[in-house]
Amino acid sequence: MKEIIQQLRRLNIPLLAAMFVLLGIGIVFIYSAACGMSGPVGVRLYEKQIGWAALGFVFFLFFALTDYHHLTRVAWWLYVVGLILLVLVFVPHIGLKMYGAKRWIQLAGLRIFQPAEMMKIAFVILLARLFGYPGRNVRRWRYSIIGALAAFLPAALIVKQPDLGTAMIFFPVLLAVIFAAGAPGKTITFFLVTGGLIVLLVLSVIILPPRIGMPEQEHKQLMMRVGISPYQRERILVFFDSRRDPLGSGWNKAQSQIAVGSGGLLGKGFMQGTQNILGFLPRTVAPTDFIFSVIAEETGFAGTLTTLALFGVLIYGGLRAAAGACDKMGRLLCVGLMAALFCHIFINIAMTVGLVPITGIPLPLISYGGTFMVCTMSALGIVQSVHIRGDWK
Amino acid sequence: MTIIQITEKEKARLLILALIMFACLGLLAFAVWFIQFGQGNLYRVSQEQQAVRRVRLPAVRGKIVDRNGICVADNQPDYGICIYLEELRRSGKKRQTARKTWDLIQQLSQALEIEPQITLKQINAHLYNRKPLPMAVWRHIDNKTMARFAEIGMHYPAADLMYDSRRVYPCGAQAAHIIGYVGAAEAGEADEDDEQPYHYYLPDMEGKTGLEKIYNKWLAGSSGGRLVRIDVSGFKHDETCIREPVPGGDLCIGLDLRLQRIVEQAIADTCGAAVVIDPNNGDILAMASSPNFNLNLFCSGISVGSWRALIEDERKPLFNRAVSGLYPPGSTFKPLVAIAALVQGKAAEDTSFACNGSFELGGQVFSCHMGDAHGRLNMVKALEVSCNVFFCNLGLQGGYDALYHMALAAGFGQKTGLDLDGESAGLLPSKAWKRQARGETWRDGDTCNISLGQGALLVTPIQMAVFTAAIANGGRLFRPRLVIGRRSHDQSKFEPIPPVLERDLHWSAAHLATVREGMRRVICESSGTGHLAGLPDVVMAGKTGTAEFGRKGSGLQHGWMILFAPYDNPKYAVAMVVDEGISGGATVGPRLRKMMADIFAVSGAEG
Repeated sequence: MKEIIQQLRRLNIPLLAAMFVLLGIGIVFIYSAACGMSGPVGVRLYEKQIGWAALGFVFFLFFALTDYHHLTRVAWWLYVVGLILLVLVFVPHIGLKMYGAKRWIQLAGLRIFQPAEMMKIAFVILLARLFGYPGRNVRRWRYSIIGALAAFLPAALIVKQPDLGTAMIFFPVLLAVIFAAGAPGKTITFFLVTGGLIVLLVLSVIILPPRIGMPEQEHKQLMMRVGISPYQRERILVFFDSRRDPLGSGWNKAQSQIAVGSGGLLGKGFMQGTQNILGFLPRTVAPTDFIFSVIAEETGFAGTLTTLALFGVLIYGGLRAAAGACDKMGRLLCVGLMAALFCHIFINIAMTVGLVPITGIPLPLISYGGTFMVCTMSALGIVQSVHIRGDWK
Repeated sequence: MTIIQITEKEKARLLILALIMFACLGLLAFAVWFIQFGQGNLYRVSQEQQAVRRVRLPAVRGKIVDRNGICVADNQPDYGICIYLEELRRSGKKRQTARKTWDLIQQLSQALEIEPQITLKQINAHLYNRKPLPMAVWRHIDNKTMARFAEIGMHYPAADLMYDSRRVYPCGAQAAHIIGYVGAAEAGEADEDDEQPYHYYLPDMEGKTGLEKIYNKWLAGSSGGRLVRIDVSGFKHDETCIREPVPGGDLCIGLDLRLQRIVEQAIADTCGAAVVIDPNNGDILAMASSPNFNLNLFCSGISVGSWRALIEDERKPLFNRAVSGLYPPGSTFKPLVAIAALVQGKAAEDTSFACNGSFELGGQVFSCHMGDAHGRLNMVKALEVSCNVFFCNLGLQGGYDALYHMALAAGFGQKTGLDLDGESAGLLPSKAWKRQARGETWRDGDTCNISLGQGALLVTPIQMAVFTAAIANGGRLFRPRLVIGRRSHDQSKFEPIPPVLERDLHWSAAHLATVREGMRRVICESSGTGHLAGLPDVVMAGKTGTAEFGRKGSGLQHGWMILFAPYDNPKYAVAMVVDEGISGGATVGPRLRKMMADIFAVSGAEG
């Protein structure tokens, strides 16, 4: 018991505080977003979010008080289990399909969790072990290649769900960890360039053919072969041409921008957001992917800046823990987990302001969502675990 | 645990990572600032309160035309008045908005001198479920109301004219059962598999019965919408985006309206059904069910009174007897019995039996019409005079299995597969069926009954028409069809749909000739039971039928007749049934004569 108190005293306070405040913001604005929705479903949402936050906190504490070396020791096992779960999602009766995507594992019809979220953490743990093992020479190419493969496998499975957004996150995380681990500049450049080329290639396949006059039908078939589902294609096309289908996928984009823009400095006031704009969005979207729009509309620039600042604190805390980690594995764990978190934050907010095509990426700690919340808090717990055991003068 | 210090290099890299992340966050902050304050800002925190209004552009529903291009289902522009509830909303309370809406409706109602069409409950329902969409408060307004609204509309900023379209049926009651009618679609939940559960549109029209229902997806198209920016006074600033509606496609049906009119007239004064098919491809040239109803009753939503009148009418006008009506075929089944026996080799052209007016089979007595004794006759003659005794014997000689399989091949006991809703499969009893349904074994008496087209046997008029067509065209069973061509909105010509040959019955020409000759005599000889249907200048062939129904001995009978004409190179295969009649020959015969005379008069010129 005494040990636990001792450890708790070594928690990174800013990180902890930022986490709580962001959780609070999430709950409060989910309440607002949900009230605009019809029926009892809406109001229960924020209660559920509180529940998830509480569960997440339990996980947080657990991981914070556990030595992270236990995790890295079983890194390969975790990774393999994660892969198996990802495959199971496609098995009928075990995997659950909702809104056109197979993302959940179910038990008797109730969706339990999304393996993809957990896979991200397992992946980072694996990378940490791979590159942080004492005495490992990370300058050797083979580790980077193994890392790339380790990223590619789950990403491919997740793309099939289909969930392009989540799959993409694996690669920046990989890059961040390799970079922090001290891989040679050439490797980094190589990955960057290859990655960039692939993205360019995929984008051009999506955007160019319609421009040069390929008929829709053929284009759709080409996309299916490449593995991009029609609605993903639609989202990307809409991003580049907002006049396209403005009442479908373009609607979300236009409406989010309008919501954000209408906030002004101090916003319209809590619960005063014109839910007509977001009220159009279906039950799942306002409290999850577009929660930032709600915050922007209701609290204005003041609110958005504060939220961004809080996320900044979170990131800072995580990187600080990395700096003070007692060994390389801990360092890389922090870097990887914060990189993942950062990607979520950036992509989600960028999406709501129209900088990035619409994806299904939720906003950490704020968006409604069970698995994601628990995973985020587990990740923060692991970071705290590194911090607690770190070397502070 | 060993503590490994962080190296300078690692520290530097961490720093770089941190800088990159913070730079990105800064970029986001800038982007947010830009949208909220910068040049591209759509909304200013100033007095101009702006809102975005969503205007629905309905899709034009596809038309239905007959084979000669005459339109039977069309659209008319329709106008209504809608209210944008969002613009009435002041504070967050729903009840206030509902009340404000109600007041506005009252004001408009007075100013326009029309009665409100909506209740407070409906307003609340709309607020709850579809707030951002305009709520239609008046539909199908007349020109006077529209003009008045144009005058005063500006004083009621949250209200606006809405354009809608109304389905009309130029031919009124003709082919009502075939065309069907439309009504408001139920606002349903999006499917789980729908990747776009994001669209809430005003309920479109959807087909409820008939072709309007079966081909609804083709006809409906998809509605579009427009985003319009307006200011506090409802004035439209500009259009932000537009999604064009996609018009539905048109359908061309095989019906010939001229024939349809003639056929409907032939049974208009009684309850029954008639079907005319082109034996060469299965096109339905005319299909009537009497009594029928006027489709235009449904145009603007049927009134309660009219609906109740239709539902409570004992004669069931909404019921399509031609495809759903189940009747015992009576003697019209005999050609099938004949063919079955011939084809299976159980009988030949010269098979004969003696008829003394009645046939006794273990307690049951089957007698010929009026108890007439026909003497010894062969198959052709037996068909001509419809001798029950002959066919009882033939049926027993042929055996029920042969008869059953031939009937099955000829399409009885199953749906024909035509493109209409509500088709009945009829009942072709089998030995197994009897054991299951009645708990008894098959008896010879049952075979006799079926051979006479009675017993548990039930057919629909369309099945009889298809069978008649098969006799007419030499043994090919075509799938009957209504739609013969489709045209999407961007095509100028109809794309023909090829006819479907269900199966070739492989009836030999010789066997068929026997049966056809018998049927020819039915109409063309004065002793034929169907001679009342005969025309002087066209050779027709057919069969009469008088089917008893209800309790035995109650005297209730359906009058049947099937025919095909002209005898060589038939163009028409017809089946007609009258719900209650004296007999096939007496009741249906004269009707058919007039009907065929008219038909040939109209189309005879085309050869």
